[in-house]
Amino acid sequence: MRKVFAIVRATMLEIGCDALALLITMAALAVSTFAPALHYHQFGEPTRMAREAGLSAILVGGLVFSIFGAVRSIRREIESLTIQMALAHSISRGMFLAAKMLGVFFAYLLFFVTVGANSIVAIKGAQIGALVAKGDVSRVWGPSLATGIAPIILPLIIAAFLNRFARFRFTRTAVILMALISILGVFYRFDISLIVRFFAPALALMPLAIFFICLSGAAASRLNANSALSLSFIVVASSLFLFGSHYLSEISAPGASEIPWGYIAMLFAADLILSCAALLAGIALFDERDLS
Amino acid sequence: MDQDNNQNKQEVVVSLSDISKTFRDFWLRPTVKAVDRLNLNVKRGEIFGLLGPNGSGKSTTIKMILGLLKPGSGEIRLFGKAPTSAEARAKLGYLPELSYLHPFMTARETLDYYAGLCSLPKKIAKERSNELLEMTGLQEAADRPVGGFSKGMARRVALASSLIGKPELLVLDEPTSGLDPVSTDEVKTLIKTLAKGGMTILMSSHLLADAQDVCSSFMILNHGKTVAEGRVGQINGDLGAFFLSKVGEGRDFKIAPFLCVETVPGGAK
Repeated sequence: MRKVFAIVRATMLEIGCDALALLITMAALAVSTFAPALHYHQFGEPTRMAREAGLSAILVGGLVFSIFGAVRSIRREIESLTIQMALAHSISRGMFLAAKMLGVFFAYLLFFVTVGANSIVAIKGAQIGALVAKGDVSRVWGPSLATGIAPIILPLIIAAFLNRFARFRFTRTAVILMALISILGVFYRFDISLIVRFFAPALALMPLAIFFICLSGAAASRLNANSALSLSFIVVASSLFLFGSHYLSEISAPGASEIPWGYIAMLFAADLILSCAALLAGIALFDERDLS
Repeated sequence: MDQDNNQNKQEVVVSLSDISKTFRDFWLRPTVKAVDRLNLNVKRGEIFGLLGPNGSGKSTTIKMILGLLKPGSGEIRLFGKAPTSAEARAKLGYLPELSYLHPFMTARETLDYYAGLCSLPKKIAKERSNELLEMTGLQEAADRPVGGFSKGMARRVALASSLIGKPELLVLDEPTSGLDPVSTDEVKTLIKTLAKGGMTILMSSHLLADAQDVCSSFMILNHGKTVAEGRVGQINGDLGAFFLSKVGEGRDFKIAPFLCVETVPGGAK
């Protein structure tokens, strides 16, 4: 267990220090914050726009985050040969690969919580804005922008300050602060039903990310980074038609029908089978290869 | 008691029987035969030197012992078990030819990571990390990312990482590669001290002076084949001269004619 924990922790540290992971998180936060505030999106339903933007950021950003995270993390181990020192210890290749993917999943979980929490802040901003504006939708974006901007700009400023004066690692500190500030925002005008209604459809998107972590990780254990990324995105593109049925944004609306927890649980169960199949295929391919 | 010690000393820790390895391309066509029917036995407590010129198959042999490469034929036993066995690898420490470290981790985090891979309890891991950082003179740089370290410092972190599990067998691939003379001397002293403490050491090197200083037994490889083996003490004179007599034959380094420019005062022709 200690071995798995060591690899999971190292993988999370690695992704936390990866500028690309920071950029993807910032982009997803920006989408969930700014999309409902854009001028041409003022359809008179700002809270709905905030919900949709948040879920889209979790879906698209989450897929990009998990695919890049898995491929880059495993390819870096193989190409920089750090894997040779790790596998010289009493750990099997299968366990190593599975632990790496678990590390990527926990990093994705942080992304999921950060963007999800920020989306809730943006929804609350849109609600407050709608009350203040009293029908004038052009005034909605103000509070939304103010509440949403804090998790993007503020962490960068604080991380730069801590990096300069206390030698904190910039990227890692910024990612953690983004998560902390987003989560803190949820406690302002705390509304549990809003949280449940938003995170239920968001949870339905999580199995896709888990599956693509396993698939991309398995591909990266055998193919080079470009080939593994291409393969993963081809599978994403060719299965886009499947995504629509799992995009349950309508249940996030207040007063919508009951949350289909059974269906969400079924998605996780189906994902477990598919992800295990991808992981086992990856382990079988990885076990046979020479690491020179 | 002495009989037990003698029996322990005779225990074969690493055994290779008729090992061959041929690298193949994508279409499985053979590209190079790196190791050809190699037999090797490393006994407990000895410092075994795997010597040979570049491309002789030393690193390939080491990687097969570690289970990173699969031999094409033959059998490898590590502590009497297959090299992929977790039980056998738990007794192993490995220092690769180049210091393969995670650049985003600090020296302390690196040691914590390898302590975790050795399943060391946290308290012991912390104690050993501190001792190894002190031993390698890295206490002041312990909390800096290793990505910014010099080659010599990175080498010391890698060496400390290979020792954190207190292995019974230490495999060193070119341990003094890239080190300055003072650090080289320190590493050689460390190897001898570890062997005195009962650790078995298998090291590869093409630096014959280093091998002569520390190794008790040796094997010379050339083109993947054994050309000589024995105990260092049995060689009359210099190991370097002996080495050249074994692998130097047939090697003729010809300088390209265009490089042989006749120089004249005032410039080249």
